[in-house]
Amino acid sequence: MRLLTHNMLACNIKGVTKGYPLKIEATKTEEKETDFNAGFLRHIYPKLDWKALREAAASLGLEELPEQVEPSQLEDEDFLRRFHHVLLEIHLEEGALVCPETGRRFPVSKGIPNMLLNEDEV
Amino acid sequence: MGGDNTPLSNTLASVLDNLSTTSSGTLFGIVAATGIVAATGFALTFGQAEVKGKAATELLKGTSLREDEVKEHWEEYDKYFQQNAGEGVDEKQKAPKLVDTFYNLVTDIYEWGWGQSFHFSPAIPGKSHKDATRAHETMIADLLELKPGQKVLDVGCGVGGPMRAVASYSQAHVTGITINDYQVKRALHHNEKAGLKDLCTVVQGNFLHMPFEKESFDAAYSCEATCHAPKLTDVYKEIFGMLKPGGLYVSYEWVKTPKYDKLNPEHVRIVDAICYGDALPEMRTYLEIVDAAKEVGFEVVEERDLALPPAGPWWKRLKMGRLAYYRNHVIVSILSFLGLAPAGTTEVHEMLYKTAISLVEGGETGVFTPMHLLLCRKPETQETPAVAASA
Ligand SMILES: C[S@@+](CC[C@H](N)C(=O)[O-])C[C@H]1O[C@@H](n2cnc3c(N)ncnc32)[C@H](O)[C@@H]1O
Repeated sequence: MRLLTHNMLACNIKGVTKGYPLKIEATKTEEKETDFNAGFLRHIYPKLDWKALREAAASLGLEELPEQVEPSQLEDEDFLRRFHHVLLEIHLEEGALVCPETGRRFPVSKGIPNMLLNEDEV
Repeated sequence: MGGDNTPLSNTLASVLDNLSTTSSGTLFGIVAATGIVAATGFALTFGQAEVKGKAATELLKGTSLREDEVKEHWEEYDKYFQQNAGEGVDEKQKAPKLVDTFYNLVTDIYEWGWGQSFHFSPAIPGKSHKDATRAHETMIADLLELKPGQKVLDVGCGVGGPMRAVASYSQAHVTGITINDYQVKRALHHNEKAGLKDLCTVVQGNFLHMPFEKESFDAAYSCEATCHAPKLTDVYKEIFGMLKPGGLYVSYEWVKTPKYDKLNPEHVRIVDAICYGDALPEMRTYLEIVDAAKEVGFEVVEERDLALPPAGPWWKRLKMGRLAYYRNHVIVSILSFLGLAPAGTTEVHEMLYKTAISLVEGGETGVFTPMHLLLCRKPETQETPAVAASA
């Protein structure tokens, strides 16, 4: 799974109020090249939780993203390429996503996050 | 049929196509002869190593389940269902587990015989099934008024046929959720092959407890999936929560139509058989789905049965497909016999065959539709949902 997917996921166990963003525990990540599409990045940018993306990138030791994005940066190819790389090219293959409030771990195996809850969690 | 057929199924299919056009042997004769021809077909086409190798493996075994598991799942599935006059299954809360079991059993067979979209669509005169399927899917994007870059949720996404059509047509970003991990794998594989991996995301989860941030989607849809929810208001409530205020939701629902008469034993039998063959906890009426949507707070924008004339019959494909079903059934039986398909596959396929007949009956009598359209909006300003007041 990419960091784009991570950006959307939350822990919605009953009673949890701060289940977002999930922390990443990575045992295996992979880099997979994908076509650069500036239009897509500009479209998706306003839909993202930037802080969550930035923290996720930092926790994986990826190159730093700026704290704030200025509108002009979305026209800057250099920036867009870095953004593209972090959002779409880094895949969490094995590991877990961890709820910041309860510590509940959602396993990620072969790149697929298993977000199913147990009966006592709903 | 469409989809990406494996070389194995193509070869077998053509062998059997030739065979089924030759004369009038007895059933036994056909099966026996087919067995021999099919076995020869394998050997000729692939040589020994490959018979045991990839093609056969990919078609029916080794993908979702281990050998023994199919049988086990099948027995569990079969036992679970009690056909209860029009009432669906007894322990409704177990539905998600049951559905997961069901899709472990049928995903390969569906994809093989049906392609990547696990839903019906009205037949369009002069157009192929593939085109009709796609039209039914892109209509979702139109109804939701999707724009490039919007975030859309696909509730119960299967292996992602609709998701890819919606994403490529609208350039919106689609996130799918399905309870079945094997479907997630298949969906990711197809997304990649279709060059849509940036626009489509898939996660394994339960649509009754969705793992997303509240109010994070611009729009949502479900294509013949919410019928699996034990309680419709539970899944609608969950979808409502994921939508931004003002967000649209469209669903194709399986329902009993106004023609359904609960005192008519034929109608009851048909609907029960559909529930059994499709892992449905119960069949709702067309009125119940509208009530459910309103109950959780949606405004109902539009609501109608897309199967009504002038729409072409959605069940035509099943009817035309009877021969194909039969043919597939023969292949599956042979594969099981030769030990190439897991034990239990024949039973599963037989169930699907019988279900196809019930669905056709449902369509022809008009008591059932798999495409009752429900288009709703989450109000901009939230009032207390009606349920609180009426409870
Ligand atoms: C008939 S298929 C339709 C799939 C897809 N919408 C399509 O049209 O190709 C129903 C889908 O609903 C999913 N489903 C059923 N119950 C579910 C649940 N509780 N949570 C998540 N997905 C579920 C199944 O896994 C399956 O993918």
